Amino acid sequence: MVDKTRPWEEWIREHDDPEHTLEKPEAMDDLVVLDVSYGNMAGLFTSSILSEFGAFVIKVEPPQGDLARKFTPYGLLCKDTGLGYLNEGRNKYHVTLNLKTEEGREIYKELAAKADVVIETFKPGEADEMGIGFRQLKDLNPGLVYCAIHTYGQFGPEAEKNRKKPDYDVVDQARCGIPAVTGEPDDPDIPEEVRAPTKQGNWMGWYAGGCWAAFGIITALLWRFKSGKGQFIDMAPPEGEAKFCDYHIQWYHQAKRLRGRVGPYDSAVFPYTFVKTSDGVCFISGFSDVNWAHLCNIMNKPEVKDMFPTIFDRLNPENQPKIHHIIEEWSARLTSKELEEVVMKHNLEPDAVGVVATAKVNWPLDALGEDHWWIRKTFTRIEDPNYGELLLVNPAANKMTETPPRLKWACRPVGADNLFVYKKFLGYGPARLEELKSKGVI
Amino acid sequence: MAKSDYFQWAAETFALERIFEKDEALKDVKIVELCTLILGPATPAYLAEFGATVFKVELPGMGDTMRSLTPWGHFWKKQALGWLKEARNKYHIAIDVHHEEGKELFKRLVAQADVVVENLRAGTMDKWGIGYRDLVEINPGLIYIANNGFGQWGPYVERPSYDAIAQSESGMAWISGFPGRLPMKSGIWLCDYYGALKAAVGILAALHYRDRTGKGQYIEYSQAENIMRAMDWTWIYQGITGKGRDRYGNRDVAICPSDIFKSKDGELVALAATTDHQFKALCQAMDKPELAEDPRFLTNLERTKEENAQALLSVVREWVASRTWFEIDRLARKYGFAAEKVYSGRDHYYDEHFEVRGFKWHIDDPILGDGVEEGVAPKLSETPGRIKWMGKAVGFDNEYVFTKFLGLTVDELKALEEKGVIGKWADFIGRTPPDDWDGKSGKIFP
Repeated sequence: MVDKTRPWEEWIREHDDPEHTLEKPEAMDDLVVLDVSYGNMAGLFTSSILSEFGAFVIKVEPPQGDLARKFTPYGLLCKDTGLGYLNEGRNKYHVTLNLKTEEGREIYKELAAKADVVIETFKPGEADEMGIGFRQLKDLNPGLVYCAIHTYGQFGPEAEKNRKKPDYDVVDQARCGIPAVTGEPDDPDIPEEVRAPTKQGNWMGWYAGGCWAAFGIITALLWRFKSGKGQFIDMAPPEGEAKFCDYHIQWYHQAKRLRGRVGPYDSAVFPYTFVKTSDGVCFISGFSDVNWAHLCNIMNKPEVKDMFPTIFDRLNPENQPKIHHIIEEWSARLTSKELEEVVMKHNLEPDAVGVVATAKVNWPLDALGEDHWWIRKTFTRIEDPNYGELLLVNPAANKMTETPPRLKWACRPVGADNLFVYKKFLGYGPARLEELKSKGVI
Repeated sequence: MAKSDYFQWAAETFALERIFEKDEALKDVKIVELCTLILGPATPAYLAEFGATVFKVELPGMGDTMRSLTPWGHFWKKQALGWLKEARNKYHIAIDVHHEEGKELFKRLVAQADVVVENLRAGTMDKWGIGYRDLVEINPGLIYIANNGFGQWGPYVERPSYDAIAQSESGMAWISGFPGRLPMKSGIWLCDYYGALKAAVGILAALHYRDRTGKGQYIEYSQAENIMRAMDWTWIYQGITGKGRDRYGNRDVAICPSDIFKSKDGELVALAATTDHQFKALCQAMDKPELAEDPRFLTNLERTKEENAQALLSVVREWVASRTWFEIDRLARKYGFAAEKVYSGRDHYYDEHFEVRGFKWHIDDPILGDGVEEGVAPKLSETPGRIKWMGKAVGFDNEYVFTKFLGLTVDELKALEEKGVIGKWADFIGRTPPDDWDGKSGKIFP
């Protein structure tokens, strides 16, 4: 019998608090993954996700290191590695291999023959031309799940036309449709240079592509469990990120109009926006009828409720600025903290019918000051033997009772795991590695 | 092997016309969904594209609030566009789980399911007697995921959440937008759709583990923690420097050049080049080969230093402003650097590439007729994802699901409907079939 005498919150915490993560098994520690991505955070994020669930990930870099080790704000390095890679080098074994040499490609094929998954970010058709693509590897390893990540994908007219173009986050984002609907609107009062399609500040194109690639890979592995067969996965990050672009293709099909940029507003729900407070900016919502009524009560403006009685009145683009102004008349007198408190007090009243959601728009440095994340181990500070003290973000979103994902180590220097990995998989000892090194293969 | 051969092979391997001949990876997976809005429902929607059987359970009558979410209140054949997108491939049933008999029905469905997805406030399902502790008793191998903003425990456990709450709390909005302006909320429900994706990845990992061991588990899922994980170097940078990350417009301060510029003909062009080869290629294309030898611009590390970045970006900005998008694209293809224009919904809609790849997916729907939706993201050669139908009215599949999966008779269903345990749609926009529905099309049974 499952114990139901204790409160849910207490019971579930006992079962999934990351405090106990290291005592538990890993979901995917039966898998070997070869990540041969280059200069591409999408590939690195894909293999990070698999490694967080327990896969043995071998990150293959050229002897001079992955270019992604140099993707770092303002050129800031931590030893040999920039901050983007340092964050996604996690849990992986870092080996070098020169795929431009014949011998390097032969060694790569031997590793791939023993792997369950290959992740690559070559230009479309490039791996195939080098003789190490899916078509060649599947003959050596019929169960291989092979994932190729590139802006244009592996087929379709643009794939061949753009086969010389590399994959970057900024082009993935531009192509996904989100910047076209994000940013300040075409209002003449707004300076022209900032009145423009706006990308997400992070590498969202790459992270979306990487996460979808992991989705595709695990899906393919589930099928392999039943069929014994591997397959080829073509992942184009712009399509991955465009999956998040609301209903935009549907909307164009039906209305033959564009949504445009609406700043902090939303075209389908309102109020659902940022408002100014006395010390910053808060998000606030109240779009369904009950929640709108609740918001009007909290603001102590019951008369406003019936001025905009339905969801559709509140969505009317003419009414949106009016509603926004009414909310700001109230919010601007409160600090962000006070606003959060007053809303929560009303939400928790026993007779409250609606719910208003609000949050301070945090500076990421302020987010680090909130207890909630530290108690839940969203972040961790580790002392890394190679890179010193680091603040890292955990795979905290999925807290699993049986097989929680985890962070084991931050990163490893270029080629740091050559001896271990080549010995374990191919039996190469120090003498053989020395020979390969002298030939420029590792 | 020759390149032309490769592209022909890839086109055949992924050909749209062959998708329905192929197997579905998740066809043995049954999912019961008790969710509203996006973060919850989008999770099983992604899995349904790859063959999972999803029972979407709604309250009889009005169903999911999402059925009202559509741009400027524009309904297409009485359907909300926000809703349709995540309704695909699901079976739509309506059970009132507040009702004792409703709970029983729900439990019988879960008893034969593999996965439960819910997005209610923390502890609600448990309070109703249909939470993980109740369901695992009747289905020990169950995988149960609860999606919300802040998790099931911790100081913020009472706080409601939406996509924009996660964007705000995490700092994601702060790092987006232009310097000197307010933080910029994403124009889309990013933390919901991306959040749902990572929740689905958690389910897939749990299914993998269950294949190996037979064990199910509970997954506590937080969308705020998920977007924090995706904010790349933000946290590690703050840990090392003690400085907070700010917003930089469209410029990438970790890769240079990487920014969005305006072309002579007014297109917004994203452009990036970082390897030696790509950067030289860009310099050649700009007819400024000497820049590639300039010590300030020799490597990405040098170029990302603030002063050097400013200098280089202004050169590139000026060059893009002097060329049309067509010219830039041609040069990027010839020399090999990254350049792409900012795509709108219209661009996606008319682009042959997205059409051929099925990302613009045409559907001849039994109830709604001719429609276009966004297609599937990862293309799997042997078990490709697909869209079978778009979305149905509240309780539309009651008869089929309760008969086939729970063995109820038509008389028993009638009795349950009279008691309000199960039900159909209310006569309200977004909940009903379209006006031109003939009363039969799309019904599976009877």
